[in-house]
Amino acid sequence: MPEVAAFSGQRLAGVDDVRRINPLVPVQAQITRAITETHDTKTLYVVGLDGKVPFSLNPGQVAMLSLLGVGEGMFSGVDAGDHLEFSIKKVGALTGALHEVEPGQIVGLRGPYGNGFPLEFCRGKNLLFVAGGIGLAPLRSLVRFCIKHRSDFGGIHLVYGARTPGDLAFKGEIAGEWVAVEDFAISLTVDQGDRDWQHHVGFVPNLLRELKPAPDNTVCLVCGPPAMIKNSIVVLEELGFAAEEVLTTLEMRMKCGIGQCGRCNIGSCYVCLDGPVFRLADLKRYSSEY
Amino acid sequence: MMKQLIAQMQEIARELLETGIVQTVIGWEKGSRWYLSPPVFVRKPEDAGRLWYDQFAVPNLSGYLLDYRNKNEKVAVFVKGCDSRSVVRLIQDNQVRKENIVAIGVPCAGMRDQSAVNDEKEPHELPLLSKCLQCRYPNPVYADRTVGEAVVDKSLNVPDDLDAGTGLMGGDLTGDGSYVSSGIVERLEGLSSDDRYDFWQKAFSKCLRCYACRNVCPACSCRECIMDSEHSLWVGKGSSPTENMFNALIRAYHVAGRCTTCGECERVCPVGIPLMALNQFLGQEVNKLLEAYDAGIDETLKPPLEMYGWPDFDGLFRCAKGVRA
Amino acid sequence: MMFLEKGDLHFVLDVLAGLGKLYVPAESNGITRFVPYGGEKTQVWLQTNTAISPKEILFPATETLYRYETGRGKETVKPVADHHAPLILFGIRSCDLQAITCLDDVFLDGEFVDELYRERRETATIIALSCAKAGPHCFCQSMGLDPLAHRQSDLQMYDYDQYYGLEANSDRGRLLLETLEKHDLLSVSGRENPVPALEFALEVETEGITEKLTGMFEHPLWEEVASKCLNCGICTYLCPACHCFDISEKLDNAHCGSKIRCWDSCMFSGYTRMAGGHNPRPGKRERVRERFMHKLCYFPQRYGKYLCTGCGRCLAKCPVGLEITKIMELVKEVENDA
Ligand code: SF4
Ligand code: SF4
Ligand code: SF4
Ligand code: FES
Repeated sequence: MPEVAAFSGQRLAGVDDVRRINPLVPVQAQITRAITETHDTKTLYVVGLDGKVPFSLNPGQVAMLSLLGVGEGMFSGVDAGDHLEFSIKKVGALTGALHEVEPGQIVGLRGPYGNGFPLEFCRGKNLLFVAGGIGLAPLRSLVRFCIKHRSDFGGIHLVYGARTPGDLAFKGEIAGEWVAVEDFAISLTVDQGDRDWQHHVGFVPNLLRELKPAPDNTVCLVCGPPAMIKNSIVVLEELGFAAEEVLTTLEMRMKCGIGQCGRCNIGSCYVCLDGPVFRLADLKRYSSEY
Repeated sequence: MMKQLIAQMQEIARELLETGIVQTVIGWEKGSRWYLSPPVFVRKPEDAGRLWYDQFAVPNLSGYLLDYRNKNEKVAVFVKGCDSRSVVRLIQDNQVRKENIVAIGVPCAGMRDQSAVNDEKEPHELPLLSKCLQCRYPNPVYADRTVGEAVVDKSLNVPDDLDAGTGLMGGDLTGDGSYVSSGIVERLEGLSSDDRYDFWQKAFSKCLRCYACRNVCPACSCRECIMDSEHSLWVGKGSSPTENMFNALIRAYHVAGRCTTCGECERVCPVGIPLMALNQFLGQEVNKLLEAYDAGIDETLKPPLEMYGWPDFDGLFRCAKGVRA
Repeated sequence: MMFLEKGDLHFVLDVLAGLGKLYVPAESNGITRFVPYGGEKTQVWLQTNTAISPKEILFPATETLYRYETGRGKETVKPVADHHAPLILFGIRSCDLQAITCLDDVFLDGEFVDELYRERRETATIIALSCAKAGPHCFCQSMGLDPLAHRQSDLQMYDYDQYYGLEANSDRGRLLLETLEKHDLLSVSGRENPVPALEFALEVETEGITEKLTGMFEHPLWEEVASKCLNCGICTYLCPACHCFDISEKLDNAHCGSKIRCWDSCMFSGYTRMAGGHNPRPGKRERVRERFMHKLCYFPQRYGKYLCTGCGRCLAKCPVGLEITKIMELVKEVENDA
């Protein structure tokens, strides 16, 4: 039907086009290592099938990890140069299944999504990291970046809390590498200590109130359970931190990762596209949305 | 007459709110068109004047009581005869605590069929809904208070001299999808099982899986519906003939023997699937197989599918009996 | 302008059906929606807009993204390409066409392009049809649309008594006109009857609503209006502009299955519920607020247009009369600094 051809004049996409363009289709990747961080948290090392890093992730960016037949989930990752690292807490079916994967296993991966931390904004400033539980995972990418580019940043202070000593993630990395970094203060706290616990006991916001970190020339980065974020924010305001200087990285239920499926919005922003890093000032109006 | 009734309803609501006996009164209000009387939640005595009642107060408000099951809040709800049966059901299922609700019975002479509206601006006569033509409980079977002539009365009180309606539960889908009146259940029973299967396949092929039928239903009281369960291997989220049918059957079976035939599921269905035919059919089957039972009439009687007793008529528990013997 | 005698419409449809996959508004299985044109047996329905919107053609309620196989070290992922003839959508009303432009914003105009949507959208020729009368629930005019024409159509048809007036808005539209002319179906000698302005039973004031809503996130209004909502999917599924979707699995057996995308609704409890159980929108208040905020505040902020086109479908079918027009009125009544 020549009429049809003249009329349509359209190229129809083939399978390869779809794979190339359709952002909802994952690429295949491989697990190379699985490290147990705590009783409910594991870190997975992921590379492409060619053994190389599938894409690079800026500190704070996220990617969608999937297991065929199980599901997909958005995780913040660390770009370690030759592989990506995802620290995953077991909370549901997908994360449960991800805890079972072994080196060599194939997973699906798509990304990178979102904007990372505003590195330019942070450069030259002191950084106060406030983290609770698995909330340290997204901040860790920036901590590692700062360590790598130590001279670009001022003093670093990490205030990190968890329910029990056993719930503190990345203990090895903190004790092995981070403590040795110059001008890097570390304050640890748990809700409930045990006999060997030598650090603080109590909630993160309370510890902040006690430590009184100075707001001058300081950017604060907060991540953790919603209640911890909200209560810490109250304390940070008391301490004189401006809402523009407090950043947080949010976790939401996500499906598409590309601002189309609609569910991860906070106001007119999508966490997947415009976040996951937000300035507190931008979230104020919608504090119940995360 | 209606004016007086409404004044009385508003008075009771005001009193209940003022005295703090309840924090919320669920009733109907005047809608944006002459033939609409949607639900309203009144929380302040001064808003009691919003309450309204007429022949378009079709929505059964008792399903909203499920929103209060986890709250320690007292709530009053207006019920027509048919609606009151749903309250009984909810009490039977321990979904609501009797002491937390005040059911206020209102008299009902039958609701009108909004689908017959042909002038949205000028009010005109409308036929009765056909569920109202078959009504056996025009008076509430359960109520803490009553308004007007409503009497709490279990007698079979069939209204007469009412004109025939075709909407809500009177219809049948003919091949071309148009409604014709007459008993749909009988017509379906007259079909071969293949034809019946085709009928339902076709009907549910247009289901949107919007779950309005479930959400409005006072017998659908599961805390988490299997249809919402994310990792259920039973049913997927997409709409497809098998999955739509699965959804339909699960719901139909789950409310069998518990459905009070208020007709809300069929009323809300945006694509006009004759859901009540399924419910009525299963209700009849339960009555035939087990015992004659009218859901939501007597709170002391358990629904037939919620208990087990001897004799074990179909030998379902034969081995259990063996063990016992 | 070219003219077509109304009695010749089915000849036109037959010609169009030869050019691509033609969808027409029709009565089918007891409901009005857009269906593939099947000749005479299709009961074309042109009175007002259809009960189910044409959104489902470009953005199907359920579609497969890719198929996969797993098992013993073998994992394959096969994307699905939707090869089909170009689409021709006949009889699209202004409200529904406006809604398609909303979908375009979401699926085509951002950083990421949805290939499945793009393929359908780019091959689609849209033949718009002016409305001869406003339906009882229509309020498109209040939303800033012209019920008689929409510039984004390829071909605009005007309803003039015994004639349709045809005007092309794009190359594809012009090509269509040429084709129809070749089939001797058009004439230049029709009458361009002046169409009386449509009478709308519903009118709302939208001015300034986006700005006003910006400050109303915590307003008690939401609690008040939301109580009666059933949190069903009717309003969002019938809406021609709602674009939210879910991605989930469809298992064929233990080793293969597909990833599917299907419509989702901000009204559903699972929409924002996170794996650990936390749900930032746990109840009716939050969900109802999200729906109206998205349509009237967030979407306009992001894309510069309302995510409501005044088609009236949600008004017509909401079982509890939670009407967006009423919400707009209530918002308007709210004191500015409240
Ligand atoms: S109300 Fe109708 S369309 Fe919606 S889920 Fe129930 S049967 Fe399907
Ligand atoms: S607004 Fe109406 S249609 Fe929408 S979810 Fe609520 S009850 Fe259903
Ligand atoms: S919100 Fe309602 S009126 Fe507006 S476009 Fe959607 S369905 Fe139509
Ligand atoms: S995950 Fe779909 S919009 Fe953000």
